[in-house]
This record gives sequence, C-alpha cells and structure tokens, in this order.
Amino acid sequence: MAKPRRQHRPRTTLVILVLASITLITLDARGQLGSVTSGLQSVASDAMNPVRSAVDAVVRPIGSFFAGSVEYGSVQRQNEKLQEEIGALRQQVSERSDAVQRLAQLSELDHLPFVGSLQTVPAEVIDENASNFEATIGIDVGRANGVALGMPVVGYGGLVGQVVEDQRHTATVRLVTDGQSVVGAAYGKTAGALAVIDGNGSGRPLTGDLVPPGTVLHRGEVFTTSGLQGAVYPPGIPVAEVVSSRTAPSASQESVTLRPMAQLGGMAYVSVVLWGPPS
Amino acid sequence: MQSVARVSLVVVLFAVVQQVFLLGVRIDGVHPDVMVLLAIAAGVIGGPRQGALMGFGAGLVADLFLPTPFGLSALTGCLVGFAIGLSTVAFDDSAWWLPTAAALVGSAVYEVGYGMLGVLLGQSQMMHVDYAAIVLVVALTNSILAVPAARLVGWSLPTSQVESVPSAMSSPGIRR
Repeated sequence: MAKPRRQHRPRTTLVILVLASITLITLDARGQLGSVTSGLQSVASDAMNPVRSAVDAVVRPIGSFFAGSVEYGSVQRQNEKLQEEIGALRQQVSERSDAVQRLAQLSELDHLPFVGSLQTVPAEVIDENASNFEATIGIDVGRANGVALGMPVVGYGGLVGQVVEDQRHTATVRLVTDGQSVVGAAYGKTAGALAVIDGNGSGRPLTGDLVPPGTVLHRGEVFTTSGLQGAVYPPGIPVAEVVSSRTAPSASQESVTLRPMAQLGGMAYVSVVLWGPPS
Repeated sequence: MQSVARVSLVVVLFAVVQQVFLLGVRIDGVHPDVMVLLAIAAGVIGGPRQGALMGFGAGLVADLFLPTPFGLSALTGCLVGFAIGLSTVAFDDSAWWLPTAAALVGSAVYEVGYGMLGVLLGQSQMMHVDYAAIVLVVALTNSILAVPAARLVGWSLPTSQVESVPSAMSSPGIRR
C-alpha cells in the first residue's frame, strides 16, 4: 500500500540543483571553470589510472583466454584435464600474442613515414569512448609530457584525432569519427583539391564535403591533411580513404564516403604530435 | 555525518566500477552506465528530493570522467532522480519490481534526455549516435543491477530522509 511521504520542499531543491547545474555548464563553456574542473579531472583521472591498469593487467589475459577457449569447445568436452592444460597453454599464448601485438603497434609508431621530423610522444590508450555519446579515447600522457590542447594524434595508418582535454598525466583525444570532428583535407594529384572530412559518430563512415560534383575519385584514394594556413593539423597525414563516391542529381557536391586510415578499434598505442598551428 | 560518508562511499564505488570494469564492456559498441542508477535508486527509496540530490552529486562525479560539458550529467541526473521519485511515490512500497522497472524507464529517459540537452548545448556529435542501442544497453543492464544498487543506496541514505522503501530492498541501515 502506498503511504504518504514526508516532503522536504523537493521542488525548491530541484530548482536550486538545476540552477547550479546550469551555472556550472555556463562557466565551463566560457572557460571560467577550466582550471578548477581540469584540476579535479586530473586528480580523478590520476587516482583511477593505477586501479584501471591493475585490473586491466588481470582481466585482459583472462578475456583472451576465454575468447580462445570458445574455439576449442569440442576438445574441452572430451577431456577435462586436457581442457585445463589447453586452457593454461592458450592463456600463455594469448598473453604472449597480446604482448607481441602491443609491441608491434608500439614499434610501428616509431616508423610512421608521414610524421617526418615532427616530434612525437608515444602514449598508451587507457580507455575508449568514456561516454556513449562521444568517440574519444583516453591516453596516459598529459601536460607533464608536453601534450597540449589541439595537438594531433596519429596511429598506425594515419590520423587518429586531436587532443581535446589535457590533464597532468592523461589526455582525452577526440577521434576523427566523432560527430564534432572536422578535418581539412587534400586529395588527388593536383594542388588545390581540398575537402572537409566530417565524423559521423563512432563506428560510422566519414563523409567528405566540398568535393565538386563530377570529381573522379577512385576507391582507396587517400585524403591527407591539407596543412593550409590556420589548419589544426600539419600537412600530409593520411586521414581516410575513399569507400564510395557519387554525384546525386542537381547536387552541389560529390557525396563521398570515407574510411579512416588509422585502425581506430582496439588501439593499444598512439603518438601525440607535439605540433601546434603556426601563430 | 555518517550518512554523508556512506553516500560518498557508494558514489565512489559506483564511479570505480563504471571506470574500471564497465567501460570495457561493449555491447554493440555501447557500454553500461551505472552512475544514473544512483539517482534512480535514491528516487525510488528516498523520494524526489533524495533522487534529485543523488542525481546531482553522482552526475558531478561522472562529469569528472567525461569529455562532455561539466554539469551536463548532474543536470540530467537531478531531473531524472526527481522525476523517478515523484512518479514512484504512489506505488506500493512493497512492490519488488519497482526498482527494476524504475531503472528500466529512468535509464532510458536519462540517456535520451542527456543527448537532447547535449545537442541543445551545442554538442552536435550527440546527434550522430545510435540512441536505440544506447537506451537498450543501458536500460537493460541497469534494470539487472537495480536491486543490488537499491540495497546499497538504501544503506547509504540517512534514515530520516528515507521516505519509502520497497520491502524487498529494506536493509539494516534503513528504519522504515
């Protein structure tokens, strides 16, 4: 049976909390809360990282072990003892292959041809898509390592994204697939062929804008960062390759679908390019 | 004072679980979001005022780990906590299904509301997400976790503030 509840002026409380929230959002948007929130976020992030790393170190091999075990289900059913041995062996292999894969990714970052002479800082990916509403990754380097807001982040294959939050020892990178990501790009062999590559959300293909109608684009053709004056990325970093291109009737531009050059899923390491637009 | 410590402990516990364990759990690219469960459970157990307060506090903690505008989770959380508290006040307090149902509905409302408020605040990327998948994953996982979450929240809330507790959720910390 429902019973009456004590009322503590809940509407007044709600109004106060809503006003407080709106004030925080406004101050944050204006940057007036920047140092406070950034400091708190740094503390929270620094406190969480050791726990996350420790758990990850334990959980990752177990996850790999179970993933591998599924493939050998019939063997497991035949002999329980053998199953344990196979499981233990597979766990070792998973651990090793995981380590080898991560090492390969790390060594690849040392030989990214498009980075050239630009200075980079290698970083480990510590989380992926902290919010369901953003395509972002967290990395384990921050201001203490020379990382700053707006710096490009690259990975094997090409551009990964841009630093959008910098804490002391960690940073958040907005991926090129995020709905807010916009990258000025060049394509084709002729100079001056420029486009804008827009993100459409995690896991979705990119869109190429401002490509004139009738432009011939081949599947696999690579768009690179344009590096125009004022651009937020240095020139020549591969961003995406053409998946499809078509001209809709009476359209003012080509409808271009692209795929990111960098392998954005399951990244273990990335490199932050210590570069800012020339002032 | 003791209840403040308990509430803080529960909020931190949920934040750790979210950041350490649940961020890695992906279902169709979507991870569970248990922070909103605090607001919902507090709304069911403590009423609209407790729901709003818990939603605000838990939202602020969640915002520390999110790249979205600081305060957005707090705003959405306090609105949802209040709404859940208000809408469940008339229900039979012994109903075992109340926290689960509230988690199912409240989580869906929270995710959609969060996205809509985000778009209003200029977060254009929030227009490009799969709302059906987010709502489904978050609502279902939260409805599964609703009962233990309600027990923890019931334990943490000050007894004088607990306005109604489903009997299935009652714990030693709650005086009905």
